[in-house]
Amino acid sequence: MSSITDSKTTSKLARSPNIDVDWQGLSRNLPMFLLVVGVIWFLISFFPMQKALTTDYMVSSVTDVGNFLLGLVAFFAIIEIVLYIVLVRILQWRYALAYMLLAPGAIGLATLFVYPFIYNIAIAFSNRSLQHFLPGAYDYSLDYGITNFTSVFTGNVLHDTGFWEVFFRTWVWTIINVTFHVLGGLGLALLLNRRLAFKGVYRTILVLPWAIPQVIAALALRGEFHYQYGFVNNMLVGIGLPRVEWLNEPIPAFIAATISNIWLGIPFMMVIILGGLQSIAAEYYEAAEIDGASGWQQFRSITWPLLQPVVAPATVLGTIWTFNAFNVIYLITQGGPAEKTDILVTALFKAAFEFYRYGQGAAFAIVIFFVLFSVSAVYIRMTGALKAVTE
Amino acid sequence: MSTQIKPRSSTLTQGLVRRTHGDSLLKRLIIHGILIFSCIIALYPVIRVFSVSLRPGDRLLTTSLDLIPADASWANYQRLLSSTDFFLWVWNSLLITITTSIAGVILAATAAYAFSRWKFPGRVPGLMLLLTTQMVPATMMLIPIYLMFVEIGRATGLPLVGSYLGLIVAYMMGGVAFSIWILKGYYDTIPIDLEEAAKIDGTTDLGAFYRIILPLSTPALAIVFLFNFTTAWVEYPLARIILPRSEVFTWALGIRSLQAQFNTEWGTFAAASVLVAIPTMALFLWSSKWLISGLTIGSVKG
Amino acid sequence: MKKLLMLAALIAIAAVVVACAPATTNPPAASSSSSVASSVAPTAVPAKAVKLTIWCKEGGVDLDWVKATAKTFESKNPGVTVEVINKNVEDLRNDFQTAALAGTGPDLLWTVNDHIGVFATAKLIAAAEDVMGKDYFSKFVKPGNDAALFQGKLWGVPISAGNHLMLLYNKNLIKTAPQDTDEMIKMAKDFQTANPGKWGLVFNETEPFWVAPWIGGFGGWPLDDTKIPAVATLGTKANADTMNFLASLRNTEKIIPLEADYDGADGLFKDGKAAMIINGDWSIGGYTTVTATKTIDLGVARIPKVKATGNWPSPMTAGVYFLFPASTKGDKLDAAKAFVNYFVSKDVQIDFVKKLTRLPALTDAGNDPVVTGSAILKGSFDQMSVGKPMPVVPEMRCAWDSWKPNYQEVLTAKQTGDQAAAKAQAAAVDCISKLK
Repeated sequence: MSSITDSKTTSKLARSPNIDVDWQGLSRNLPMFLLVVGVIWFLISFFPMQKALTTDYMVSSVTDVGNFLLGLVAFFAIIEIVLYIVLVRILQWRYALAYMLLAPGAIGLATLFVYPFIYNIAIAFSNRSLQHFLPGAYDYSLDYGITNFTSVFTGNVLHDTGFWEVFFRTWVWTIINVTFHVLGGLGLALLLNRRLAFKGVYRTILVLPWAIPQVIAALALRGEFHYQYGFVNNMLVGIGLPRVEWLNEPIPAFIAATISNIWLGIPFMMVIILGGLQSIAAEYYEAAEIDGASGWQQFRSITWPLLQPVVAPATVLGTIWTFNAFNVIYLITQGGPAEKTDILVTALFKAAFEFYRYGQGAAFAIVIFFVLFSVSAVYIRMTGALKAVTE
Repeated sequence: MSTQIKPRSSTLTQGLVRRTHGDSLLKRLIIHGILIFSCIIALYPVIRVFSVSLRPGDRLLTTSLDLIPADASWANYQRLLSSTDFFLWVWNSLLITITTSIAGVILAATAAYAFSRWKFPGRVPGLMLLLTTQMVPATMMLIPIYLMFVEIGRATGLPLVGSYLGLIVAYMMGGVAFSIWILKGYYDTIPIDLEEAAKIDGTTDLGAFYRIILPLSTPALAIVFLFNFTTAWVEYPLARIILPRSEVFTWALGIRSLQAQFNTEWGTFAAASVLVAIPTMALFLWSSKWLISGLTIGSVKG
Repeated sequence: MKKLLMLAALIAIAAVVVACAPATTNPPAASSSSSVASSVAPTAVPAKAVKLTIWCKEGGVDLDWVKATAKTFESKNPGVTVEVINKNVEDLRNDFQTAALAGTGPDLLWTVNDHIGVFATAKLIAAAEDVMGKDYFSKFVKPGNDAALFQGKLWGVPISAGNHLMLLYNKNLIKTAPQDTDEMIKMAKDFQTANPGKWGLVFNETEPFWVAPWIGGFGGWPLDDTKIPAVATLGTKANADTMNFLASLRNTEKIIPLEADYDGADGLFKDGKAAMIINGDWSIGGYTTVTATKTIDLGVARIPKVKATGNWPSPMTAGVYFLFPASTKGDKLDAAKAFVNYFVSKDVQIDFVKKLTRLPALTDAGNDPVVTGSAILKGSFDQMSVGKPMPVVPEMRCAWDSWKPNYQEVLTAKQTGDQAAAKAQAAAVDCISKLK
């Protein structure tokens, strides 16, 4: 058991004011960066037809944002000073610095999430509707709340569909998507994790689905599932299978949306897993080869366990995001046909913005949140998936 | 077991060394085949969008499967660049997105450091709380956030709504949770011995953070920056509510104005889509050397 | 750390000083961009300096026209600046509700009449007849006014009447328009036999808006909005017959594609692969300017009579209207009224017809040769004259949402017309009861 701490490296890093990796690279790139900015500015000013973006506007907008940021810094500075005085000087708490580092983020998050959450709880206990729309026209009571919450479970959350059907479908959607995201990302990452010709090209192209704005990608994918003109059907015909009415039938529509979401989600997993793979020390594999372990055995006992700290948080986050993935379903099937591809969040959107059921919508939102919360809590506890992270 | 601290540049070779010998020609051909096939799948819808942008006459779907239409022209791009405010929208988006990403990275980097290095009371609940912020369905947040910004605007005189300042704040905070998780994981792999050695030499806590941790975590910082960038770049619903005037539109709102209720200008829309994907791709390319080589969210556990 | 804190304190003090000084860069409640359309109002404001914010549902080239005309209005009314903001129809509805909640809404709305029901029920708009006076409306065509009626009052000032579906056909492919449905089926079949791979008729098969004309032709209507609250009338034989008829076009007669949404149908017609299309007046501009390949020679006619009943199908007519938000008062209201007056004046209406190829709401403009002299516009006008106004009540939403999935199932032969009609009715009734 030897702990190899290269003390020379350590003190070198601690003392040298110029750390190689970041700052010098920046100074090398700076002239290039300025050149690019200059070219763009030149194009914009002299582009004969473009009128709206003036230098004035560019300057004023940057100034405004700059002022605002300055104000934000000032605001947080005041808070930090207060915290410093209280925590360090007065209380002399050992965790003072930690809290000071956390303060800006914590305040921001609290503002952004706490008020909306409380707002929704309030609406869930009200009788707000189209007839009672503006503040003052609706009131709150426990009764309203009880009605709203029970109606989520017992009534129809959409026109014809009950909560449980959508709930079940959301889980199927999530599990299938996340499984394929991880498997696909893993597969591609394993393939790319070697000395390979054109590796950079492959990587760049495979990352495209993540880089393309989701809206556009979704619309493009939707076009590919078109009965007459879509690539998918034409390919099926090419291999002798009949055309499928992708967007008109419930199961094919679900499959179409799932395939699209998988297409969109694999690159993210691939990038994360690729990074994780490269942190695994070569020595392990060399030792395993000496011992005569096969490729699969190496994967099972070296690669997969050592990937867990990377894969586990990404999977948890991915699950949460997929559960709440609104864009793909809304853009590709709009929840159709006949509400058969709606998941919980798209149903929520429709309830609030298309059916004007504000009270029930707010209750619905809270229910969705708690469902996700409890299931995640149980999963995390049961599998210890995040032990590596929280230790 | 050894805890190895090597300068980060050699991690690139760590994972690779094992793989170079032993790959037969057949195996490599198969690998290339699979990758090429995957690339085609990844690329095809994108090319279709591109071909719509080359098609005059706003035809979204056509009978021909030609990738480059017979009557291709740059007319849609010309129209987009000359008779819409496209440059203005992109400028606005760039300003908002870059500010958000940089500020978000700064916020998350400091907070993640706290989570990583101190076992302060409320640490684990705090991490879980971050996770729960991701669970809130976004639709239920839009209206309250808007109302809140309006009230704050009235009370303080800050034009949070009506300009894109409120948007910047919202985007910053929206990406913080994920960013903290990723960065914390990364910090965890940097042995604390480094900072302790530095402190013995007289550096303060914050100094150690700035001089040691940050430079060593550029890959994770890059991925956080990218994530914040891509999320803010394409966001639409919140921008739509908060930005009222076309001078401050982001590109997402701008190209939406090309869509009439039934009569979308698909050609121009597709052209805009192609153009706005370029900054994201460029950013990916530029940061890929940081992203891939040595993104070590893992620890060689002793 | 101490150094850092001192630096932070300095910045804080500096920022406070800057913010509290007579502000030039960041005046309270001012917008961050100072160029382009916003007016710089000096402190001594002449009484008439007003800024009008208008949300307009027009996009694309139509929006350009609106903005240009607004500029002309500005030049005629010094002191008034107008900002026209485009909002997609769905977005406009959502955002106006949100903005009204926060008190940050626009001063005038240019939107479709289905929003009237929603906004009026939520008390977000003032009745146009209260604002402009009842006599104001005598100069508009009847369908224009009718479509803005809600609970006995006129809520919007019509700009354009129409928004209706009609039969558009490509004279390069089919010489004349059919007069009734039997003829239509025959012509389509003959065309398809002579041109394999092409379709006789296409239309958006996903939206019940395209079913509405036919149900009128079969003697029914989705909603009875003379009652309060409106009553769904989807469970009728007329509805069953209508849906069966459309399904037969797809499955038995095979003159329409198996799958066609709006863009699909539109694309086929633009490519010259469909002889006839049922589409709305908003699409005419796109068909008359198809470039390069010039595949379309456009003809406009009424949707053919239903042979079984002898009735003309009655597409839903609507229109585009000015609506007055309840929060617009005082000077802004005066400016808004002036703006409305300008846009419904004869010259501007005629310009509207010329540039946007849509029917005017002003009767005088409708009688002008610019309308009567154009075959396309005349055809459109003919169709509109047998149309019925689309109900603007919020219950209509329930009708649409209930109709759509059941109609789809009849099309794909999963249900019969009777079953679908009954289910749609039940769902609509349930939805309407929940609107309270």
